[in-house]
Amino acid sequence: MTQMETPSIDSSRIAEISLSSSREEIERREQVFTVEDLGVAYSGNVALAGVTMNVYANTVTAFIGPSGCGKSTYIRCFNRMNDLIVGAAVTGSVRYHASDLYGREVDPVEVRRRVGMVFQKPNPFPKSIFDNVAFGPRVLGWKKGLDERVEQSLRQAALWDEVKDRLSESALGLSGGQQQRLCIARALATEPDVILMDEPASALDPIATGRIEDLMHDLKREYTIVVVTHNMQQAARVADMTAFFSVDMHEDGRGRHGVLVEYDATTKIFTQPADRRTEDYVTGRFG
Amino acid sequence: MRVEYQQSLDMIEASLQEQGALVLRAVRGAMNALEAQDIELCDEVIAFDDEIDDRYHRMEKSIEELLALQAPVAADLRLVLAVLHNSIHLERIGDHAVTIAKLTKLTAAFEPRHDLVEGLREMADRAEEMVRAALDAFATRDVARARSLVELDELIDRTNRRVVGTVLSMAASPEQQEWGMRMIIVARSLERIGDKAVDIGEQTEFVATGEFHEFSDASH
Repeated sequence: MTQMETPSIDSSRIAEISLSSSREEIERREQVFTVEDLGVAYSGNVALAGVTMNVYANTVTAFIGPSGCGKSTYIRCFNRMNDLIVGAAVTGSVRYHASDLYGREVDPVEVRRRVGMVFQKPNPFPKSIFDNVAFGPRVLGWKKGLDERVEQSLRQAALWDEVKDRLSESALGLSGGQQQRLCIARALATEPDVILMDEPASALDPIATGRIEDLMHDLKREYTIVVVTHNMQQAARVADMTAFFSVDMHEDGRGRHGVLVEYDATTKIFTQPADRRTEDYVTGRFG
Repeated sequence: MRVEYQQSLDMIEASLQEQGALVLRAVRGAMNALEAQDIELCDEVIAFDDEIDDRYHRMEKSIEELLALQAPVAADLRLVLAVLHNSIHLERIGDHAVTIAKLTKLTAAFEPRHDLVEGLREMADRAEEMVRAALDAFATRDVARARSLVELDELIDRTNRRVVGTVLSMAASPEQQEWGMRMIIVARSLERIGDKAVDIGEQTEFVATGEFHEFSDASH
C-alpha cells in the first residue's frame, strides 16, 4: 500500500468556539492602572504588601480572597480613598494611565471623579432620585444638559424605565437593588473612566444581584470595572481577570497582612490555578 | 473543608472503579463464551449490559447533582468531568462485550479455527489488562503509566492486523467465510476496547495536569 499524502485542510473554515477572553488578549488592552510593589499600612501596621499587577481597560477585574486579605484596602488605593483614613500610609506606586496617582500635583477629588466607587451597602442621599444623580455634575458645575445627563446615567445603570415617572420622589423609597443601581448611575454621571465596586451585590437578593452582574457586562464596553467580591461564583460569572489575595504572617511572626497570590484570566483561576493556595480557596478547602 | 462535598467526589470515583470491574467481567464473559461457543453465557453477557448501563445512568445523575449543587472548580471540576467521560468509555466497552456475545451466538453452528480464536484471546487479554491499567493509573493519577497504554494498544493493533490477514486467507473456503467475517468484527470490538482504555488514560493526564492531549493522533 502506498503512503497516503496528508490532505491539506483549510482550518479557517472550521469555526472557533471561545467562551472567554484569553489572558494574552486582555493583556494587549490599555493599562489603566499599573501597580508596583504596593503596600498599605494603618498606623504602622502592615495591611497589604508587595502587590504588583496591571488593570486593563474595558475589562472586569475581580479581587477575591478570605476576610482580612486586604482586598478592600487594595481597591481603595485606586481612588485614593485610603487618604481619608488617618494614619494610613501607601507605599510603592500606582500609575493611572501612566501618571503617578499619588503624585503631589494630583487632586484626589479629580481622581475620585474619574475613578468612581460603589459600596457594599447602597448609600443614596436622602434626596430625590433626580438630585442623587445630578449631585456630582452640580458639584462640578456642569449645569448644561443636566436632564439629559441624569437620563443617560439612569439608562446606563438599567434603572431609567423603573424610575422615569417618579424622578422627584425620594431615593430612599427604592428597593435595595434599585438603590444600588442608583448609586451606579450617580457614579456614572460624573463621566468616570473606572468604576470600583466593593461587594456591590452582597446586600442584594439573587434577582437584584443578577441585574448588577448584567450591568457589569454592559458597562465594561465603556468603562473599566474593578470589583471586590466574597462570592466566588460571582467573580467567575462577571470577571475577565481575577486576582486572589491571601493572608501571610509578618516576617517577625507578629501579625498578618494581605498578599497577592495569583492574578490571571478568570477561566484559568477557576479551572487550572497555578498556586496551591488559590486551588484550596476556590475549591472551598481553605482553612 | 466541605466534608459532604469531598465525600461526594470520593463516591463518584469509587463508583467508577466499580463500574470498571463490572465491565471487565462482561468482556471476560464474552470471550469465555466465544471460546466455548456457549450460547447461554452469551445471553447472560447481553442481559448483564443493562446493569452496566444502569451504573452509567446513575453516575450521570450523581454528576449532574454534584455540578448543580456544589459547583466544583479547578482540580475538582476536572475530576468530575473526567469521571463522566470515563464512565461513558466504560459503558461503551460494555457494548463491545455485547457485540462479541451476539456475534458468538450467530456463529455457534460453525467450526471455529483455533489459531484465530487464540489471536482473539490474546487481544482480549491485552484489552482487559489495558482497561485495568487505565483505571489504576486514573485512581493513582499516574500519568506515566497512563501514557504507557499507547504501547500496549499498538500490540493489540498488531494482533488485529494478523487476525484480519488470517480471515482473508480463508476466502477460498466458503463455509469458513461467514464465521471469519464475523470474527473480524469481534477483533474490531477488542481493538476498540484498547482505544477506550487509551481514552481513559488521557483523562488521567487531564485530571493530574489540567492539560488534555490525545496520546496518539487520528492518523494512528
